[in-house]
Formats: sequence, C-alpha cells, structure tokens
Amino acid sequence: MRPVMTFALMTLRSLLRRRTIWGISIVILIALVGIGQVPGYGVSNQGRFMLDFGLFGLEIGTLLLAIGLASNIYPRDRERKTVMPIIAVPLSRGQYLMGRFVGAALVQAAAMLAGCLGLMVILMLNEHAIPPDLFPATGLLIVEGWFLLAVVFFFSFWTSPPLNAPLTILLFIVSQMSVSGFVGLLPTAPGIMRTLRLLLPHMDVFHIKDPIAHGMDVPGLYFLLAMVYGLSYMVFMLAVALAVFRKRDLK
Amino acid sequence: MRNVLTFAAILLISACRTDYDIEEVATAEFLGQDHVHADSCETCGEETTEVEHDHPEGEHVHDPAGSDRHIHEAGVRNHGTEWFFNQPWAADFIWGKMVRDSVILVLLATGLIILSGYRRKNR
Repeated sequence: MRPVMTFALMTLRSLLRRRTIWGISIVILIALVGIGQVPGYGVSNQGRFMLDFGLFGLEIGTLLLAIGLASNIYPRDRERKTVMPIIAVPLSRGQYLMGRFVGAALVQAAAMLAGCLGLMVILMLNEHAIPPDLFPATGLLIVEGWFLLAVVFFFSFWTSPPLNAPLTILLFIVSQMSVSGFVGLLPTAPGIMRTLRLLLPHMDVFHIKDPIAHGMDVPGLYFLLAMVYGLSYMVFMLAVALAVFRKRDLK
Repeated sequence: MRNVLTFAAILLISACRTDYDIEEVATAEFLGQDHVHADSCETCGEETTEVEHDHPEGEHVHDPAGSDRHIHEAGVRNHGTEWFFNQPWAADFIWGKMVRDSVILVLLATGLIILSGYRRKNR
C-alpha cells in the first residue's frame, strides 16, 4: 500500500504542475461566476436556476477534468519510456495503475470541492439559501468523476489520446439514456441495442440536481447506494483496465 | 484476454437485466401517481379563487389570478412531470437492484483481477 501512496503523491505533484488542470478549473469557476451574473428580472426562485446550472456545470466539469487529467498519463509515460523502469522493479502493473489513479482522483476530488464551495459562495452573494443536500450531491459528483477517470484510464491503455476523449464523451452521453431511449437510436435492431445498453453503466443514478434545485428532500440512503454503485463500477472499470494493461507488451 | 472479456460480458449480460429501466419496470401505481385532471371541475365557479377540492388523484388550488390553471402543493406530482419522477432518486423500487448490480460488479472485478494475474504469471 505504501508504494502505491508514494507513487500517487508523485502523480499528484506532476499533475499539479500541468496547465491542463488549472485551465479546466478556471473555466469551471468562470462558468459559475457567469451563472451568478445572470439577472433575475424579479423572478422569485432565481436560486433554483443557479443551482440547476451550477450542478450541471460541475458535472460537465468532472467529465472534462477526467479526460484532461488521465488521458495523457499512460501514453506520456510510454512515450518517454518512464513506464518500463517503474514497473520493472519498484512497482507491479497493478500498483502503477492504482498509484496513477489515486493521484488523479485526489486532484479531481479537490477540484470538485472547490467548485462546490464556489457555487455556495455565489448562492450566498446572491442571497439565496444553500440546500443541505449540496454537499452529498458534490460527493456523488466526485464518485462520478472517479468512475469517468477509470473509464479514461481503460481507454488510454488501448487507444490514442485524441480517440480517448470522444470515446469517453460518447460513453458519458449514452450511459445517461434509458433502455427505451437507447433502443430508439437504432429501432431496426432492438435486440443488439438492448444487449449493448446492458453493458453500459446507468449514470442516471448520479442525476441529483433536479430534486435539489426544486427543494425536494433526497433520502440519505439513496446517496449512499448511488455512491456504492458508482464505486463498484469504478472498481470494475479499473479491473478491466488492469486486465488490458497486464496483456500489453511494453517493449 | 479475449476469453476474460467474453466471460465478463456474459456474466454482466446475464446478471444485470433490463429491469433497471424505470419506465419499463415501474408499477402502474407508481406511474399512475402523475396527476390527471378530471373533466368535472365545474364546481370551481369563476368567483371562487382559492378553493380546494376533493380530487380523485390529488389536491390542487386554483390560480388566485382567476385563470383556468391550478397550482399543486410543492412535491405533489403535476402534469407532464413523468421525466422528473422517473429518475432513480424517486423510484425506491430500483434501489435494491443498484445494490445487486454493485455486488455483481465487485465480484466481476475480483474475478477479472485474479484471472488476468493468473494468465500473466503463466505467460
């Protein structure tokens, strides 16, 4: 465990030195400030729109962060040939993957928490109430981001970085669709489409902005179950990524 | 590797069934909670502006401005809000399936890690 944490901290430091993470974080904060500047025109529940757009912005931000953080890690290590000495002696392939993943996950979680605090500040400055479920919702967004990170790592082991981003975005979009909606994309082959949809995650479990924006109570048990589901899918995607990585010949 | 992935896919297909889709598995009672306005609402009268009625599907208050619209209590299902309530947070009958899928995914992950490690050792 200790080698993994040491490698994760090395990864964290190297990611913080990159401009990508700062660029995406600044874009998220600018978007949040922009949402706060939208005039209310006397609408009594303007805070609802701020929350709705703010949480939507954070969800898109978590997707962009996952791609920006992880799509280049392994290809860069391979191109610079740093991956070979690392996995030759000090770390196994599993520890390499876990170290890289934990480092990126820490950065992603910190960025999401900063986004959540930014949204709270904007709500307070506009004299709107802060819903108590905002923090659990951010927790759910963090888990969604970790799952997307695992997906990006999986794609990075067998595709190029330019292909990684569209594949992840495509998965993000189709995983939000219901079974009937997905089958509707190709109604002539319902069997194949239904089977394909079964293999995809149900990312609609992370959709929590609607009840929060409308002031409805979401049971704490749901947050817990959704987080467990997201973490389980993350573990599964990491296991698939590891299986692909173990198969790869790095010579 | 191909065998491992095929094995995982078969398990996933057989385990995680379509019964996750709320639109497909929701009971008629759950779907029927959406408010349907009865035609017989003549008793409202034009002069009555804030009258509550016994309604077969839920309670509503008429628009104080006197229009034909009526307003529901916060949290009560309204017309055309199926998309809102057909989400996992509102459909507690699929929460058990989330737990089931989580267990299956963790088991699959464990199997994959063990199998891929075993194959790597034997290369």
